[in-house]
Amino acid sequence: MEFLSNYIYYIGAFGLIFIGLFIILVKHNLIKVIIGIGILDTGVNLFLIAVGYISKGTAPIFSKAGLDANNMVDPVPQALVLTSIVIGVAILALALSLAIRLYKHYGTLDLRKIKEQRW
Amino acid sequence: MKKIISLILLFIICLGIVFCLQDIPFGAAKTKVGHYYIDNGREETGATNIVTSVVLNYRGFDTLGEVTILFLAAIGLGAVLATLKKKGKRQIEPASLILKTGCRFLFPLILLFGAYIFIHGHLTPGGGFQGGAIIASAFLLVYLGCRERKINEVANKITESIAGLVFIVMGLIGLTVGGHYFLSNFMPKGEINTLFSSGIIPIIYIAIGFKVGSELTGIIDNLMEKS
Amino acid sequence: MVNPILLIVVPLGLAFALPIVNLISKKIIKYIPVLAFLFNLILSLLLIPKVLEQTIIVKIGGFHPPFGINLFVGPVGILFSTLIALAGFLVSIYALSYIKEGPKEKYHILYLLLLTGATGVVLTGDMFNLFVFFEILCISSYALVAYLGNKAGIESSIKYLIQGSVGSSLLLLGIGLLYGQLGTLNMADIANQINSISSPSIFVPMIFIITGLGIEAAIFPLNAWLPDAHSSAPSSISAILSGIAIEVGLYAVIRVIFTIFNASSFLMFFVFLGVLTLLIGEMSAFSQKNIKRMLAYSSIGQIGLIMFAISLNTQLGISAGFFQMISHTLGKGLLFLSVGFLIYKTGSMKISSFEGIGKKMPITSLLFTIGAFSIVGLPPFAGFASKFMIIKAALTTGQLLFTVLIGVILLGTVIEGAYFFKVIQSIYFKGTTDIIKRDEAPLIALISMSIFVLLIIFIGVYPDFIARILNSAASEFINRIDYIRSVLG
Repeated sequence: MEFLSNYIYYIGAFGLIFIGLFIILVKHNLIKVIIGIGILDTGVNLFLIAVGYISKGTAPIFSKAGLDANNMVDPVPQALVLTSIVIGVAILALALSLAIRLYKHYGTLDLRKIKEQRW
Repeated sequence: MKKIISLILLFIICLGIVFCLQDIPFGAAKTKVGHYYIDNGREETGATNIVTSVVLNYRGFDTLGEVTILFLAAIGLGAVLATLKKKGKRQIEPASLILKTGCRFLFPLILLFGAYIFIHGHLTPGGGFQGGAIIASAFLLVYLGCRERKINEVANKITESIAGLVFIVMGLIGLTVGGHYFLSNFMPKGEINTLFSSGIIPIIYIAIGFKVGSELTGIIDNLMEKS
Repeated sequence: MVNPILLIVVPLGLAFALPIVNLISKKIIKYIPVLAFLFNLILSLLLIPKVLEQTIIVKIGGFHPPFGINLFVGPVGILFSTLIALAGFLVSIYALSYIKEGPKEKYHILYLLLLTGATGVVLTGDMFNLFVFFEILCISSYALVAYLGNKAGIESSIKYLIQGSVGSSLLLLGIGLLYGQLGTLNMADIANQINSISSPSIFVPMIFIITGLGIEAAIFPLNAWLPDAHSSAPSSISAILSGIAIEVGLYAVIRVIFTIFNASSFLMFFVFLGVLTLLIGEMSAFSQKNIKRMLAYSSIGQIGLIMFAISLNTQLGISAGFFQMISHTLGKGLLFLSVGFLIYKTGSMKISSFEGIGKKMPITSLLFTIGAFSIVGLPPFAGFASKFMIIKAALTTGQLLFTVLIGVILLGTVIEGAYFFKVIQSIYFKGTTDIIKRDEAPLIALISMSIFVLLIIFIGVYPDFIARILNSAASEFINRIDYIRSVLG
């Protein structure tokens, strides 16, 4: 039980990463694949945040006097996650616009049926 | 068959990660870099929100790249959808009076809230990206509620460009006038924990707020128009 | 007042300003990329002598590494940034007459940002900053591949996007694992501390990072996206993607292996991977009927060759690898640019449709032929000098294995020669012999392509001209202690 409470964030993060990778590898519908990319991104972000956590820590903001600096969590992963979220949004927006165009061209989002380009 | 291969692949990755995670105990003490930022962040940048000081000062160059990526997404989305032929005008069913009035009432309040978030980015949780996203959500509300309204695309583009240029010009002023470093915090830091403090951080965050707001609005606009 | 940061900031600022300029006048926007890369080229050339004397460390925001981000402008960085600015300048001149349809201002913005991302990747000294610039490079290439909006472009772009975004997630995961173990993101600081942790724990993030970067670098099992993407993009973009983007990806991979992880035992694996990539690329190229797909597969083969040369892990081998990168950028750039107008005039990408075009477009065909000769490695072009240097480097190691692999590489070159001569034969010696009305590519495009030819011949005849910078670049990779010391002080 102690193991679970210690590692629950890691388990959650890598659970999301594996779900995302599995969706991307297995599913054929483009929208589902894009959702998989989103889940993968979220998992990575959660992992980064979990790396910076310290036990019973507070946010790294000195909003009032008397806050203990030793009790604050690592600010760097939070800054990284901010960047990573924005990158995720950018990729999702571009992927969705491509999906719109693809649907207009082929009338389907099934990746098995979209095989204009061959080896 | 494909599923089994995928699962085996994932299992191998999983084993590797479990191996590696033993060296990263959860909830352990801070790292060297993180410790430095928390100890010296207030004196060196003047911001009480250490995450902001990391985002905009210590790692400000990343943020410039980040802003660029969002800009890139808006432009790329426009480029992909630009050659799409329209299928004629979309049928718009006008919204009910309650919906319209509600949207009109909420729109300025959401804008105000977004502006509050990015102006106070160096003091409280939040900042330019979050505030910009809130502002874009106000425009999304108008799109969904008052359906016949449209944003002014030219004004949107100009806001976007000027906000981006402000960021770069602030960096270049730091390079030439103050301190010979790109993006150095050349303005007076002011008294800590007040609105007018921490030098260039609020100015850049306001620029980012405008930029993110107009870019996300542009993305929403493009997707609404073309799909 | 020559600060290397301007190499990144000026194109970025111009890209931000471009929407406003477009509102004022629609005619001048296409000259902005030309201006931006002319500026970058001049600045890079000015910086070369200074950098060869001493490495420049640019501290952004004035914070000392590892607390702030720093740019590491060493011989490798300046070599690549010069190459990027040169290719960017020439291709943007070419694009003045090539890009005529579509949302043009968006093309120019994306083009500027693509090369800014590439410059950022080669100059940065921070792991996460490398990720950010890498994403700029990748996302702008996804959008540019889909620029024409036809079936093939959209489909290849979405394939590229799915594979690329998985790769970037893996890269970020690897960076996260490294940060968790070492608590720093600065490359020199990571390299300094990398020996303090056990080797299995380094191995996992290293595999993640190499896989993530390797997707962009088109290393063998990860290159499924490349033929589609490079063949469906507009030809000017194909030239940049083949000439710059994959090589920047490869730079990132070897920087991670050499400087950060110091994994020289891993390089033996890379030698085989390189030869495998070479053979698969060349053999697939041989069976292509579509000219741009053929060139794209040929790029995979060339990447394999560069990987082989760099993995030799000797001074001569690494400089030969860089030399091959330069000659590939120039040669493949020239090939894609000339093919762009051949396709434009014939309206088809099939090799069979080029029959007799040597009479209709003699200059463009000649330029194509020179590019092909250089890539195959015929004297006196740059490709000959670089391939010769690679063979010399492999033979001077004195190991039997490398001598055997050189035989395999020569076999690859023979295949390469065979398919290029097939194309040249169909251009000149097939089809009608009647005199057809000449219909040449526009003058401005011919000028830009001729500069490529001049550079190819110049470097081919005087390889010593760039020998010094190649040598310093190779020693930057070999002496990782110097890298760490110059950043951390």
